[in-house]
Amino acid sequence: MKLSATREAFLEPLQAVIGVVERRQTMPILANVLISAQDDGVSVTATDLEVEMVARAEISVGQSGEVTIPGRKLLDICRALKDKAKVELTVSGEKATVRSGRSRFTLATLPAGEFPVIEDINAQEQIVLTQASMHKLLEKTHFSMAHQDVRYYLNGLLLEIGKGHLRAVATDGHRLALCDVEAEGTATAGRQVIVPRKGVLELQRLVGNEGDLNLAIGNNHIRAEVGDIRFTTKLIDGRFPDYQRVIPKLGENNITADREDLRQALYRAAILSNEKYRGIRMELSGGGLRIQAHNPEQEEAEEEVEVGYDGEAMEIGFNVNYLLDALGALDGETASFQVNDPSSSCLMWDEETPGCRYVVMPMRL
Amino acid sequence: MTAGTDQERCIAHVDMDAFYASVEQRDRPELRGLPVLVGGSGDRGVVAAASYEARRFGIRSAMPATEARRRCPDALFVKPRMSHYKDVSTEIFRVFGEFTPDVEGLSLDEAFLDLTASLRLFGTASDLGIRIKERVKEETGLTASVGIGPNKLVAKIASDLDKPDGLCILFGPQISATLDPLSASVIGGIGPRTAQRLDRLGIHTVLDLRNAPDHQLERVFGRYAARMRQKASGIDDRPVCSHRPDQSISAEETFSTDIAEPAALRRKLAGLAQRVAARVRAKGLQASVVIIKVRKSDFQTFSRQRRVTPAIGDEATVYRVAVDLLSVWLTDNPGARLRLLGVGVSGLSDAAQLGLFSESSDRLGSTLDTIRDRFGQAAMGTGRSREGD
Repeated sequence: MKLSATREAFLEPLQAVIGVVERRQTMPILANVLISAQDDGVSVTATDLEVEMVARAEISVGQSGEVTIPGRKLLDICRALKDKAKVELTVSGEKATVRSGRSRFTLATLPAGEFPVIEDINAQEQIVLTQASMHKLLEKTHFSMAHQDVRYYLNGLLLEIGKGHLRAVATDGHRLALCDVEAEGTATAGRQVIVPRKGVLELQRLVGNEGDLNLAIGNNHIRAEVGDIRFTTKLIDGRFPDYQRVIPKLGENNITADREDLRQALYRAAILSNEKYRGIRMELSGGGLRIQAHNPEQEEAEEEVEVGYDGEAMEIGFNVNYLLDALGALDGETASFQVNDPSSSCLMWDEETPGCRYVVMPMRL
Repeated sequence: MTAGTDQERCIAHVDMDAFYASVEQRDRPELRGLPVLVGGSGDRGVVAAASYEARRFGIRSAMPATEARRRCPDALFVKPRMSHYKDVSTEIFRVFGEFTPDVEGLSLDEAFLDLTASLRLFGTASDLGIRIKERVKEETGLTASVGIGPNKLVAKIASDLDKPDGLCILFGPQISATLDPLSASVIGGIGPRTAQRLDRLGIHTVLDLRNAPDHQLERVFGRYAARMRQKASGIDDRPVCSHRPDQSISAEETFSTDIAEPAALRRKLAGLAQRVAARVRAKGLQASVVIIKVRKSDFQTFSRQRRVTPAIGDEATVYRVAVDLLSVWLTDNPGARLRLLGVGVSGLSDAAQLGLFSESSDRLGSTLDTIRDRFGQAAMGTGRSREGD
């Protein structure tokens, strides 16, 4: 195998896929990237057995072939070379050699045949949406995903196909984020899949704000094609909880507040909340909203915020981080809330962020 | 013998003498003066408490029953009556309450009392110590050993110096004079292994520990080096906490015969997980760490733990994590025969954050708790704790 191109042509596909390569692997070959040079072009593949990323590269092929090379080392070498430098990669026997100017690097390889690749995902559903929509879907929900939760099906993002739209739901069991965007395709309405956390974060890095995105969903995988990159991830095999059940129905006593004022007041109060539990107390009345926080050192914060509220006076506790996350995801000037009682969930939304809803469970005071 | 300066505190450590065995000897006069062992008498039994007559044969609590019987063939085994000991313990703590509201119970028969504010009412530390012992004896007929000092560390060491029925008061220069020649292992936090490491460094006594060079202490204690040197000087600022939160909750079982079969071990885990989860719920807590304890037939003991997020209080999750920990351990120790299995949780906190989806499993758990409270532990459980799993 023999390849030559500029430093940038090597660097770009490597940077696109390297996020998938785990720093500690279960199999040595997973530290490597697969470089496949065919007559029709060059591709670079990285995998952690769950997420696979393939990037096409603008590299000219002197002699075709396939090989796997330590990914991070190759990336570091290319990154450290001079801008626009000419780079040549050759493979002979079990060694790969990178040459550029007066530099020479010899790298160990592993056989391409041993590199685990995801071939056909048996796609049953095809969805087309704008990259901007996909970006919104992920950005407005990803922060509510669970992290290393024993309820493994929460460590990811639920994608639910609807008629003419695609819905994302993330929850860690304490709060929930939901977002709907328009989408076309030949997909079965009602179909649900759970994309694992790492896949969601990699996909988020991938999508921009221009152009369309094709999503293909198979039984065990979801695949996205964005420009020169093909992204595939395994799906979480599990049943997502019935999220509809925990979204409160819209009632009467809504609260409205200036989103930025409220966010800043909460942010300041949070400084003196318990670092571990992040609890704050909210006192709601016709006169406004009083926010209190205190910590084990007996320090206290108090904030008052003007709100529109006609309901009964109420005291309710929350993890302030959950409120801040939701307020940060909303776009409009005025945020709306609905709280029914101190032990039921709170619904948050705003008119200028259509399709997005946030649910936060209170803390016992 | 008065508590020195105004700032100086007066802390007592009260420790009942051979508590379970003494209760049995009190209730059954025919046992008095005889070597009595409370605990399982079977081949697998363990001594929970030994009367002073039995201790003369070198029998200690936590010793296997077979070993105890070898040392003293005439020893009388008595089955433990835990609920009875709890009743007696309540009486004892009621007595402590006569002297101060600041009582930190360490177990059924052991507590710290902060007597600083009581000194003016009762006289000297010595008067107080004598009075506490008298009152315990009047109410329960049992003897206690009392240690009094300016802090918990000194009080705890002192109560052990004059056992049984002892009273030892250490303040000022007496602290160093008494502690210095003692083995370093009297200091809390120095277990048998650490003591061995210290021995190898030539650190045998409390005095050695206090004078040991920094680099040696740092090697053994890491960032706790300075704290250990303070302890060796008899300095300890920990307050007496009358409401000490639970550090951990656990349940364990010694099997009547060793078990090697994984399915049978999982059934045992299920029962233990149920007991632990019920206690976590009863206290309105949730746990963030699940621990298993495993003892092989050769008495080698292991523990494995894992952090779980979010914090939990349901037996299904305690069980699932415990099973996971056990199967990992079994992979490293294939075919191991176990004599004891335990499940515990720690990282306990108030169950303050409400869950979106947890209501149903919470409600199931507390309903089961109610049924078990009424009809006993075996009344209803999950299928996995039953035979034929």
